[in-house]
Amino acid sequence: MTSSHNPEAGPTILLVEDDPATREEVGRNLRLHGYRVVEAGDVAEALRCWEIHRPDVVLLDLGLPDRDGLAVVTRIRREASTPILILSARGEEATKVEALERGADDYVTKPFGMAELHARIRAALRRSAGPAADEGGVVRNGAVELDSLAHVVRVAGQPVTLTPHEFQTLAVLLAHPGRLVTRGRLLRAVWGEAYQGEDQYVYVQVSQLRKKLALADPSGSLRDLIVTEPGVGYRIRAPEPT
Amino acid sequence: MDLRRVRAQRRTVLSLALTAGSLIVVSGLVAVLEGPIGVPNASSAYLLAVMVSAMAFGTVAGVLAAVGGFLLYDFLFVQPLYTFTVGDPGEWLNLVLLLVGGIVVGQLAAAQRARAQAAVEREREARALFQVSRALATRSAMTGVLGEIAAIILREADLSRVWIGLTRAAGPERILADTGGSETTPAPTASHAVLRRMPGETPAEWVRVHQPGVRRSGAVGLLAHRVVIEAGGRTLGSLWALRDRSAGQPGRPETRLLAASADQIGQALEQDRLAEEARAAEIARQSDALKSALLESVSHDLRTPLATIRAAAGTILDRHLQISDDDRRASADAIDREAEHLNRLVTNLLDLSRIEAGALRADLEPLDLDEVVDPIVERLGDRLAGRTLTMELPRAIPPVLADPVFLDQVVTNLLENAAKYVPAGAAIRLRATAGDGKVRLTVEDSGPGVPAAALPRLFEKFYRVPSAPGRSRPGTGVGLAVVRGLTEAMNGRVAARQSELGGLAIDVDLPIAPAVVAVALAGG
Repeated sequence: MTSSHNPEAGPTILLVEDDPATREEVGRNLRLHGYRVVEAGDVAEALRCWEIHRPDVVLLDLGLPDRDGLAVVTRIRREASTPILILSARGEEATKVEALERGADDYVTKPFGMAELHARIRAALRRSAGPAADEGGVVRNGAVELDSLAHVVRVAGQPVTLTPHEFQTLAVLLAHPGRLVTRGRLLRAVWGEAYQGEDQYVYVQVSQLRKKLALADPSGSLRDLIVTEPGVGYRIRAPEPT
Repeated sequence: MDLRRVRAQRRTVLSLALTAGSLIVVSGLVAVLEGPIGVPNASSAYLLAVMVSAMAFGTVAGVLAAVGGFLLYDFLFVQPLYTFTVGDPGEWLNLVLLLVGGIVVGQLAAAQRARAQAAVEREREARALFQVSRALATRSAMTGVLGEIAAIILREADLSRVWIGLTRAAGPERILADTGGSETTPAPTASHAVLRRMPGETPAEWVRVHQPGVRRSGAVGLLAHRVVIEAGGRTLGSLWALRDRSAGQPGRPETRLLAASADQIGQALEQDRLAEEARAAEIARQSDALKSALLESVSHDLRTPLATIRAAAGTILDRHLQISDDDRRASADAIDREAEHLNRLVTNLLDLSRIEAGALRADLEPLDLDEVVDPIVERLGDRLAGRTLTMELPRAIPPVLADPVFLDQVVTNLLENAAKYVPAGAAIRLRATAGDGKVRLTVEDSGPGVPAAALPRLFEKFYRVPSAPGRSRPGTGVGLAVVRGLTEAMNGRVAARQSELGGLAIDVDLPIAPAVVAVALAGG
């Protein structure tokens, strides 16, 4: 790893691009900006990476050697609302419209400037944090703060180390304050369709999450942050108005 | 003398002879009937002669026979004999009845004859029209068929010459068919008849037209008849027919044949025009589709390296980033490499347009293949990454006569093409063999290959091998077209085939450099 930043710190980006030179240069730039980057050269590899890494953002070239890149959009949208940005040399309106209709979030035409790409990635991350997030992409709920751009969770101002699955579980719950999130929905969004019915993953993850949050907050205010709805799922306490 | 006039006179004489003959025969019959047999009044036997004459030669002959019979009977058999005086007033009645009956029978018989004749003429007209429409339906070119139509009309109608002239863009008529053969086509005569056609059922009529100032020409005694050929309200030309003045106006059947033929020619011309327009539109559509396909693939191929360049430049120029020297160098290398790649794309496109314009001139010189190939392989290094490249260039291969710049482009395109379409891990082989006055350079791979049906089209401009649905293979369809253009400019040949490695093999045959030149160069 050539980056001076901690590669595990930032949000994970899945970069799907068949041209090795473009993949290498865009990947290098993203890593230098603190993102974790997972690279794929075709649709099959992209879907494998999606299952393993559950990235926070997907950058997707449409002209891939094995299949049309839109297949990746369709697959991801069956499971999660992860932001997908299309990077394509095809500039026609019809192509853009089709990609957006299938569920892509944004469209960047090659050759793009890196500053523009970064701005669009940040905007996508902010949007994915849900309506509860502020303009900086930070969701606050009591003493808990989730910064989706920096990919950091803080409790009372102090960073808490979470695994990617714990981070995503918390992100999904925080995005829907006061509302019920079923276990099935959490499973699909955090682990993927293949884990349908494996509810024990959710129990373990949520209990780990509660422990870490409680540990970081000696005041005890976070003990009842995540409420269990028996047999159905979880609900995060609605933040008190400030 | 005119043949037609002779024929008409002969017909008149014949009809008179037949009428007279039949009257004499009937007179003999009456003599026998009234004499030995004792029939009191056998005058009605003259009706036989009336019928024969009317059937054979029409109303006039019938009436003639009736009057002749009346007179003969009066003269030969009515008392007092051998005078035209009638003694017994009762005989008057017989005679008048004979005359009236004769005229009526003659009229009826003649009408019957006219109907039969009309049926024959209609059948003839229908056959002629059928021939005209069949000639048009089976036409391959309009000009050939017009001569055939003119010949049909001449054969079936009472005309002495037929010709067809067509106008193009309101210009003067150009004669495209003429039954007059080598004779010069009659110039527009001062006076001719034009068929004026009426809407609906009203029969068309011939109208004489006088053109002042046009010199009088054409054979004396002949009158030109003109039927305008039109379609969709536009005049396309004329069907001309030359006819004997003494024969009078063309009859109904002839007029109908001329008018219907002109209509059919007009419709066929209109069809041809519409087909031509449809063809032109189709060609325009296809060339539009080709252009947009080219623009699409060229823009893809140009934008991809530009994306890399902008990403690398973005990394180097970002003031917020702490970049290591290694990262900076890697990005700068990428910019350099992709700029070179772009340059090759642009060169290919320019070469293609020079090949198209025929503006390609090869500077041929003896070249050693390995000296050409080695720098290319070195330059392409990154693009070939992940593929095993085997090179078989035996020392014994003689130098080829080629243009160094062209040959470089040919080999680069072949290797890039192979690298582009074969998956990582596949083998690419570059091999040279000599024989038969030429050196064969083969670039082949173990990739997915090309369907046999696509092989012959591989070197066509903008041709892309059809891929499975949903797959997209970027490419302009320019690289291999340039390979062929440049190779042929160096007097070489290029061909594609299935490789024994499993993928595509492309053979480039180049002439061996003449030994004298090679030796002289080696010595110098």
